[in-house]
Amino acid sequence: MNLTVLSSIIRRVRRNIAAGPYLHLAATATIAFSMLILGVFSILYVNISDLLRSWQQDIRVVAYLEEDLVKQRLEALRQHLAELPGVEKIRYVSKDEAMSRLRSQMKHRASLLDGLKENPLPASLEIQLAPGWQRWERLDPLADEIKTFSGIQDVAAAEAWLHRFTGFMGFFRLASLIVGGLVFATTVFVCANTIRLTLYAKRQEIEIMKLVGATDSFVKTPFYAQNILEGALGGIVGLGFLFISFKLFIARLHSGHALLSTFDIRFLSLTGCAALLFAGILMSWIGSYLSLRQFLKP
Amino acid sequence: MMVGAGVEPVVQMFHVHKRYGPQIALRDVNLTVLRNEFVFVTGPSGAGKTTLLRLIFLQEQVSEGQILVNGVNLQRVRRRIIPLLRRSIGFVFQDFRLIDTYTVYENIALVLEATGRERSYIQKKVRQVLGMVGLEDRMHTYPPRLSGGEQQRVAVARAAVGNPWILLADELTGNLDDDAADMVFDLLKQLHKRGTTIVVATHDTRLFGKVPGRVVFLNKGRIEDEKRP
Repeated sequence: MNLTVLSSIIRRVRRNIAAGPYLHLAATATIAFSMLILGVFSILYVNISDLLRSWQQDIRVVAYLEEDLVKQRLEALRQHLAELPGVEKIRYVSKDEAMSRLRSQMKHRASLLDGLKENPLPASLEIQLAPGWQRWERLDPLADEIKTFSGIQDVAAAEAWLHRFTGFMGFFRLASLIVGGLVFATTVFVCANTIRLTLYAKRQEIEIMKLVGATDSFVKTPFYAQNILEGALGGIVGLGFLFISFKLFIARLHSGHALLSTFDIRFLSLTGCAALLFAGILMSWIGSYLSLRQFLKP
Repeated sequence: MMVGAGVEPVVQMFHVHKRYGPQIALRDVNLTVLRNEFVFVTGPSGAGKTTLLRLIFLQEQVSEGQILVNGVNLQRVRRRIIPLLRRSIGFVFQDFRLIDTYTVYENIALVLEATGRERSYIQKKVRQVLGMVGLEDRMHTYPPRLSGGEQQRVAVARAAVGNPWILLADELTGNLDDDAADMVFDLLKQLHKRGTTIVVATHDTRLFGKVPGRVVFLNKGRIEDEKRP
């Protein structure tokens, strides 16, 4: 592409926009709004995934030991457990340590424990799992296998609510995909119609261009350029709004809700922002591609 | 110096038929236009004059028969080649077909921009053709602010700016008064003198005596008669 063609494209983009500024403003605003919706979903998704990941990393299997387990049997049990696949580290928690943990967890209510004649808590082995083993489909069979070892009274894996929460994440992922798909399709539709209206307004000009020997790409390029520009602009505006809204939300959260403020909520990464911006441009480009293909078909 | 008609055919039409549904626009037309020839195609309204030009310009496809333009069989031309062929053919339309939102200069420059010519070449060439049609002082004016005669001169300049080897004109004086028509027609004579082959579809019989050209009479889609200079 030489300078003449480039300057001709820029001139025609300027003309197209000047011919219907509100139409292009509406298209840009639609893209910005879509970016905002997609951005909110992305932020929710990223942060909930982070939270789930951190919880999953803390998942361990606790094997409660029988009361009368002698030291030699304990060592043998440790060795057997250490040979199981997925077991990374095993830590022995004595009855006394279990009680002292309970006391510190109960804080000011710890005095309730003073009335106990003997320590009812069992000693246990805390089994830390290797990366990739914190998933339910692997965790449950492992816990079942550990239960079969002699000397073990009971086994506790992660709590059921975490299981349900993982299920919710699957649902949330699906809902995000559906909402994202709908937003994408709607934005493509709006962009396609913006270009269609511009093409309709410029149909005489386009026809004359083709009569004087302009190729399809010479005719099409300014429309693509215009939509990519709208996509990029809409993306930047949408991301800007998203960032400001995020900052305001975080400030409000920190001042109001003490519990929620303990969570470290993060904004999208640079790659995430770039991906959203690219999605905006892509939506715009697909819109123009569909309209131009239909309008300029032989 | 007038360039005489050569012997090399630039347009050849063999048994060309054109139908629009049940309506027949051209019937068994056989016509050869030689290089540097000046040809008038005349006949009553609906005779098929415009259809004949549109077929040569690839705005329409023949229903039957064959057309060769500069040796290229138009029935075998791929869609992406059409713009390239059109660049070598100038076309002047009765209704001018200028872009109202482009200045006179931009309307003419568009032809060269589409071919990717250098800006300096475009400026030089556009000024040159505007000088030829006498509208150098109106280059920044928009077409709706020009008279019909001026608009048609711009259309001739646009058709000529790409140095086409053939120029087709469809009723180019149809919307003009006699003086304006003469002025526009003089431009075609100038281009013919420079070696461009000209085919004019017209029913303005006044024009025939102004240049030693061949006159082809069309009636009901058929060539009825031919008069050579």
